[in-house]
Amino acid sequence: MSDVHDNDGGHHHGRPASQIELRARALEALLVEKGLVSTDAIDAVIELYENDVGPQNGAKVVARAWVDPAYRERLLADGAAAIAELGFGGAEGNTMVVVPNGPGVHNAVVCTLCSCYPWPVLGLPPSWYKSAPYRARMVSEPHAVLREFGLELPAKTTIRVWDSTAEVRYLVLPERPSETEGWDEEALAAIVTRDAMIGVAVPVAEQTPA
Amino acid sequence: MSAAAALADVDDALGVAAPLPRSNGELVFEEIWQGRALGLGVVVLQRTGAPWSEFRDHLAAAIAAHEPAPGESAATAYYTAWLDAIEALLAAPGLT
Repeated sequence: MSDVHDNDGGHHHGRPASQIELRARALEALLVEKGLVSTDAIDAVIELYENDVGPQNGAKVVARAWVDPAYRERLLADGAAAIAELGFGGAEGNTMVVVPNGPGVHNAVVCTLCSCYPWPVLGLPPSWYKSAPYRARMVSEPHAVLREFGLELPAKTTIRVWDSTAEVRYLVLPERPSETEGWDEEALAAIVTRDAMIGVAVPVAEQTPA
Repeated sequence: MSAAAALADVDDALGVAAPLPRSNGELVFEEIWQGRALGLGVVVLQRTGAPWSEFRDHLAAAIAAHEPAPGESAATAYYTAWLDAIEALLAAPGLT
């Protein structure tokens, strides 16, 4: 079963922004023409944010929670404050709720109306996160969607699907793989992927500790 | 400077005075151009060597001066100000 938390207060639906979009394109084109920037360089920055910088922050949060029970408690009590302890954004204004996986319980995050996303810890959202089929189907048939991501969960596992809003963002705290006994935080953080913190994957202890 | 270092600087620099995701309670890149605007700003800062503190000040001023259009989303307002800040930064003498 899925446990859908439907709260769409504060959502912004995507609106046409054609004029500003044209302005943004014109500014980029002008600066490219002047030789100040290149399209490739901009692409590289965007790609980096999508894949690297953000998820590493979230991964450090997860790794700390795995090794430090007191931190885990603070993280679950007040996600934003605990994340800010590690120097990452998210302390003010927004509520960050960290939802822990456990025996028989798996969490996954969606935003069914737009693409709200805890980007200070996860970077820019992957493109599929914003796709209508992902959002809709994760709510209606989460087991099937997770299977498509390569995550086969027992049928009896409860999948809780959390619907982000502009005010409340969710971060999944995955379970620590049992094979990682004795690993240090850095080694642990290396196996925490962006997808694991959205809840469409689980960490796999495939790397040897440093 | 690597892109990674520059992006870490973004969080550090904006986190206090003009926090990008939280200034209007909306962290979302609703449109592709908003993500590109972020990338453009980062590259402009890299290439000009201008300090992020200076960009942040331009951004804070642009946010303060921005008059939201009816129905305009927070993310659109923010990234509109972001474009203003890029332009203001480049208008400063000696940068381009």
